[in-house]
Amino acid sequence: MSHSLLVTRPNFDLTTRYISAWAKKVIDFAKEKGVKVFDLDRARANRKEFESMVKRNNPAIIFLNGHGDYDVVDGQDNETLVRAGENEKMLCAKVVYALSCRSGKILGPSSIERGAEAYIGYTEDFIFLYDDEKRTRPEQDKTVEMFLEPSNQVVVSLLKNHTPMEACNNAKRAFSKRIGKLLTSNSTDLGGAAVKYLIWDRHNLVCCKKDG
Amino acid sequence: MASEQEIKQLVIERLKTLPENIGLSIGSMGDFDKQELISHVEQGDDIGQKIVEVELSFLRGLKEGILYES
Repeated sequence: MSHSLLVTRPNFDLTTRYISAWAKKVIDFAKEKGVKVFDLDRARANRKEFESMVKRNNPAIIFLNGHGDYDVVDGQDNETLVRAGENEKMLCAKVVYALSCRSGKILGPSSIERGAEAYIGYTEDFIFLYDDEKRTRPEQDKTVEMFLEPSNQVVVSLLKNHTPMEACNNAKRAFSKRIGKLLTSNSTDLGGAAVKYLIWDRHNLVCCKKDG
Repeated sequence: MASEQEIKQLVIERLKTLPENIGLSIGSMGDFDKQELISHVEQGDDIGQKIVEVELSFLRGLKEGILYES
């Protein structure tokens, strides 16, 4: 099965810089697999470009990165890309993963009502630790890797033809693997702190789909 | 039952163990270093309340075996 993937990667503050850099790893993986990738990076992560890209290219998978809230996911400079009750029908027949805060609670179910195949997202804030000394090289940050590598498993699994529910569960297992590793390693202050935030993210990761 | 002040103090003591070079991103609320996190908990603002919520959710989850969920 051949996929096409649309990725939005706003990049204007520390959080979006980090998630954008780690989404690039998914893009590289997709390209290696021969998947057609539409990358809306920085200023291109705006509503007009997003809607135009979705209509023109009909990507099977949409990977949204950016700030969000219960009913919305944003792009560059917090411009709204998708909002429940406004334009979530854009996601009709698509499998969506939103690495964004809270949108799994309202926008996810609302997208399913409007025809999305599946919406994987977080029902509360996505929280991660980072190494301040790596803030200019986020892709090399081993602290943030604990959080964003499990998150990336969602899209990596989808690209390997797993179902949305399997992809969500694979990501949860990747979070669990990190947690288990930290619990069985020589305890450090960083590891102890990371465990609670990893559990938080794992717990709030949900897969919304038609049959519940 | 612990008072609000006791809970805040517990969370602050746990935050003090964070290494100095580590920051925390809480989505659109922003990114914070250790001292900022402690200040927000002391002030009890939205960010401080979120930090307390995560900490309490973890501590309560321990009783339910949250560490061993797959």
